[in-house]
Amino acid sequence: MYKFISSLLIGLSLGAIYSLMSISLVLVWRSTRVVNFAQAGQAIVSTYIAYEVVNRTGSFWLAFVVAILAGALLGAIVDRYFMRPLFRRVASGPIVAIAPVVATLGLLGVLRAVVGFIWGVELKPIAAPVSLDGYSLGSEVLPFAPYNALVIVIVAIVLIVLSLLFQKTNLGLSLRASAYSPEIARLSGVRVNEIRTLGWAIAGAAGAIAGILATPTSYLSPNSLDILLVFGFAAAVIGGLESMVGAVVGGLVLGLGVTFVSNYVSTSLIFPTAFVFLIIILLVRPSGIVSGKRSRRA
Amino acid sequence: MRKRLLLFIALGWVLLLIGDRVDELRVYQGASIAVYVIAIGSIILLTGYSGQISLGHGALMAFGGYVAALCVANASLPLWFAFVMAALVTGIFGGVLGFAAARLSGPYLAGTTLALAVGLPSLANQFSILGGEQGIYLDPGLPPASLGESFSQYKWFFWITTLAALITMFWLANILHSKYGRTWRALRSNDVAAQLCGVHTGRQKVLAFSLSSGLAGLAGALLVLTISTVSPSAFPLSLSFALVTGAVVSGIYDLKGVMLGAVILVVIPEIADSVASRFGDSLKITSTLPGLLVSALLILAVLFTPNGPGEKLHHLRHKRKAHSG
Repeated sequence: MYKFISSLLIGLSLGAIYSLMSISLVLVWRSTRVVNFAQAGQAIVSTYIAYEVVNRTGSFWLAFVVAILAGALLGAIVDRYFMRPLFRRVASGPIVAIAPVVATLGLLGVLRAVVGFIWGVELKPIAAPVSLDGYSLGSEVLPFAPYNALVIVIVAIVLIVLSLLFQKTNLGLSLRASAYSPEIARLSGVRVNEIRTLGWAIAGAAGAIAGILATPTSYLSPNSLDILLVFGFAAAVIGGLESMVGAVVGGLVLGLGVTFVSNYVSTSLIFPTAFVFLIIILLVRPSGIVSGKRSRRA
Repeated sequence: MRKRLLLFIALGWVLLLIGDRVDELRVYQGASIAVYVIAIGSIILLTGYSGQISLGHGALMAFGGYVAALCVANASLPLWFAFVMAALVTGIFGGVLGFAAARLSGPYLAGTTLALAVGLPSLANQFSILGGEQGIYLDPGLPPASLGESFSQYKWFFWITTLAALITMFWLANILHSKYGRTWRALRSNDVAAQLCGVHTGRQKVLAFSLSSGLAGLAGALLVLTISTVSPSAFPLSLSFALVTGAVVSGIYDLKGVMLGAVILVVIPEIADSVASRFGDSLKITSTLPGLLVSALLILAVLFTPNGPGEKLHHLRHKRKAHSG
């Protein structure tokens, strides 16, 4: 029973981080039709900046805020000064279909290399703001620690803020409208390009939060967030790639699934489990478990 | 077709002569170039049919490498048979993977293959038969005695890989000009129209991905031959990225540029080494510079020669003619 409860809680906190990464991929995919593989690179940059801030000031929370701002800024810069010129330049020929994938991949490589140049390739720790030692229940010590609880709370707050932004504000309406139908949104007076850049900024911020939350329980290195990118993508596909609710559900399903398998079967099966999840969803319900549309079959 | 065959035989002859006249290091690099030619060719075959690209061909190469090494180490099968098995088994694996991801349009194939490439090391450590981090040793065998005493191991590798690359390119050139190639090109330019003409889009996409995987498996087996061990560290994520770069630099829809991409992939680590040694060989620079060069090249290639150097040259020549005329 202890094992069950702790798996459930750990799974939730892991899934919460996957959800954020997944949301940042979905936001960009909805508005730009690009799966932003560079998101892992953007998140690694903002997390290294956070590492620097923690080292200089000792404050995790200051670093957290700085990481969010850096992530948002970087997201906006990538859209405004990288993706937009790319779409302008590469407008014809058969390359158009794969150009965004290839370009974001290249950007991922460049960002990783830049981080390696500045901070080196050694593993770096970020100290958690609260304890990483598990709660004890009677004589048993659960693997679930105050830090995991903190992760769940932070992600819940972020999700509430995002859903309020998207559902209750005019800005959210513009964001949804320009993702859903850019032409009509433009005709109704939405400045679609600016709104899209804002969407990239929000996605960048979400990715940055995922990056800094994932790091205290492991280490930071130029490619330490690659796994997070893959899990975020898997979660996004499970959720259908189009919907933010789907992204959250996908993230939680994946987090729980992975944790239960690693606690009950074998810890080294974490990755194969996620991969099998991804393949099964692609085979059985390519449109995801949330959306009802069946449009992505070739 | 006969003309093409003659051309490839002539090309092989020239390569053989070159291989006899350069030093050992260059011969070894020649073998690496041949391996990359096959690997990049496999990506061009894949991307030639649809708007999709694989970010995990490095992992498929690893798959082929493991198959070949297992064949030789555990079943002591002959080398050539191990290569055939590597291509076949990886092709079948690719077919299964492709059935999940390649028949869907959108970013599914890119993401799924990326997941494969990222997760490969943990998979290799999972099964003890794969030898964990150390991997499996593949005994390449000695070159046949009939080739003479002075015939080096590296030259033997060069011969095997070059022969494989020539056969692969000949086969690729033919299949891309066959009815399959036409079907894939039709799919690439307009899949709805292709479907209306009776093309079974899903099946064709899976077929192309499966063939492409098979070639990647063959390339992986040959790579393992030249480095004589197969282990997860021989097939890092950066290998997959490098292959994409090589394919984009070659012109992703153009088989002719393949040599260019392969040569660049072999040359980049050398450039990185020489630059790094100027900056005092710190770990920071030696470990990040190759990745930076590959990625920067990828971005530049997409921005400036998106459809390959061939089209760019054609375009420039056209422009000049228009000016003078």
